[in-house]
Amino acid sequence: MFPVLWVVLTSFRGEKGSYVSTFFPKTYTLDNYAKLFTDTTLLNFPQMFMNTLIIAIFSCLLSSFFVLSASFCLSRLRFRLRKPYMNMAMILGLFPGFMSMVAVYFILKAVGLTEGNNVRIALILCYSGGAALGFQIIKGFFDTMPKELDEAALLDGCTRWQIFTKITLPLSKPIIIYQILTSFTAPWVDFIFAKVICRANADQYTVAIGLWRMLEKEYIDNWYTSFAAGAVLISIPIAILFLKLQKYYVNGMAGAVKG
Amino acid sequence: MRKKLSAALAVSLAGATLAGLLTGCSGSGGAESVRLMVWSPSEDQSKDSGEWLQTCCEKFAEMHPEWDITFVYGVADEAGAAGTVSQDAEASADVFMFANDTLTTLTDAGALAKFGGKYADEIRATNSENLVDSLTLDDYVYGVPFTTNTWFMYYDKSVFTEEDVKSLDAMLEKGVVSFPFTNSWYLPAFYFGNGCTLFGDGTQEELGANFGGEAGAEVTDYLIDLYNNPNFVVDADGSGMAGLRDGSINAIFTGSWDAASIQEILGDNMGVAALPTYTLNGEQKQMYAYAGSKAIGVNSNTEYPVQAVELAIYLGSAEAQQLHYELRNVIPCNTTLLADPAIAGDPLVAAQNDTFDRTSVLQPFVAAMSNCWTPVENMGKGIRNGTITHDNAAEQTEAMNDAMNSDGIS
Repeated sequence: MFPVLWVVLTSFRGEKGSYVSTFFPKTYTLDNYAKLFTDTTLLNFPQMFMNTLIIAIFSCLLSSFFVLSASFCLSRLRFRLRKPYMNMAMILGLFPGFMSMVAVYFILKAVGLTEGNNVRIALILCYSGGAALGFQIIKGFFDTMPKELDEAALLDGCTRWQIFTKITLPLSKPIIIYQILTSFTAPWVDFIFAKVICRANADQYTVAIGLWRMLEKEYIDNWYTSFAAGAVLISIPIAILFLKLQKYYVNGMAGAVKG
Repeated sequence: MRKKLSAALAVSLAGATLAGLLTGCSGSGGAESVRLMVWSPSEDQSKDSGEWLQTCCEKFAEMHPEWDITFVYGVADEAGAAGTVSQDAEASADVFMFANDTLTTLTDAGALAKFGGKYADEIRATNSENLVDSLTLDDYVYGVPFTTNTWFMYYDKSVFTEEDVKSLDAMLEKGVVSFPFTNSWYLPAFYFGNGCTLFGDGTQEELGANFGGEAGAEVTDYLIDLYNNPNFVVDADGSGMAGLRDGSINAIFTGSWDAASIQEILGDNMGVAALPTYTLNGEQKQMYAYAGSKAIGVNSNTEYPVQAVELAIYLGSAEAQQLHYELRNVIPCNTTLLADPAIAGDPLVAAQNDTFDRTSVLQPFVAAMSNCWTPVENMGKGIRNGTITHDNAAEQTEAMNDAMNSDGIS
């Protein structure tokens, strides 16, 4: 709690500079927030914010779709590569994602996604592409749903796709919410991929890079309090989404079909 | 299904390559069409500080009607450019700015073009020898310098006189001095003062660090006393600046990047000076800062080497440096500009150049230098924590020197 409180207090701090001798600011001001949105020639925070928001929305949709589909297939269908796929995902999951960072960069460069506005597409792909490997939790959730439901639907003439959309998804709201929350948060907190892929394209920066730049030695004295303000601001979209979806989230831990 | 997929993939890939070809071929008749990508810190491109880069590039294009130049601007500051460029030199800017301590990173990545012939002569003719040395590797010049990069002293004129600031000990008697004691870019200043050396003249890697022995131990003893002086405060995480702001500190050591903030705090009382001397066993020893330069480099992968080199030379010319100074207070290094009384009279310029010429050592950029940062930092921290005392100073100094000469593996 205290670190969070401290960041919020710092974002309203009237005194400049990065070092303080008191926990509570001596003067309070809203200028730090105003500076973020008005002083845009050096570090364009509104644009970074929009970039990140767009990336977060799209990668959240895409990766939720990927991971739900993959989990459904692995939970309900029996095919020859099922076991090998799950083993492969398990092994790949042992390695940190940024190990492939340089390779990812060169592949994206080869298809021309590292320049101009394409950087956004590249980042969306980056954040959503690996989603299908993180199926374990959702597959586990699907496994708890009775097979009989699917069989009944099949007998009634449903296709697999219809079972997925009409039967399974409506019953698994909580776990979908969980997936949406985690995948929406990822682009806000990721620094390393954004840094490698954005390189010198300042108009494509995400907030993580922007906030990091505010702490460089040339900027820190002027931008430190605005940095705190920025940190508070990026928590807002995540907080809104979380509050809106919270009631489902709590249900998520209780299982799909009761009784 | 699988066949369809691979066909679709092949088509989209072909599309991408075709698109690449098409954009590569566009151009207008007459003048040769040239596309130059230029990277600089964002301040150089910001409207608030006069768009230095854009202005200079447009002027350059006007000077060369024979080329139809399209400029593409990107943001990479001098310290970070080396990392970004070496990540993928082919897809990096044709012309970029870098700090000279990253020179070997860039040359190792094969990303930096050599300046030869008339260009090298011009660079040598318009800059001091020390400065050109900071960008020279194996007798080749790798960049056009546009400013020096070092740190010096800011002080409150109402507390110290111009005579006081020549000696650290005189200052400590009259006011509170803060020094980045735990930062290894600053702390070696004391060791250099007592005859310690790093890699001989800075380029002789085989000589290694020579921070130990009696000379080193004497300095460590001095530093322990300095730390215990009630008028001395360690500057860490911006505490020096905060102290200057609330008046509890009267002098700090930092570089030109903090000039604007300090000007705002001290106003007319802002004094700037080269490094003072300190008294060691009754003798006055000069402190020496690490000095380097910032320069404009040309990517060796550029498609338009002539144009890129010409642009780099122009961006480092007296005219561009003058504009840089007027718009952003970037301290010029061109020798003719420095002779200009309007510029030479600026105390900040005077202090930085005085430091560079008189009270600094060239920051070594040999590979083994990377082993030297942490041990020195730990020395500062050890003194602050009280683990390094007069009793074990000699032994700890020797340990620091050993660590500086070792990469931790062998």
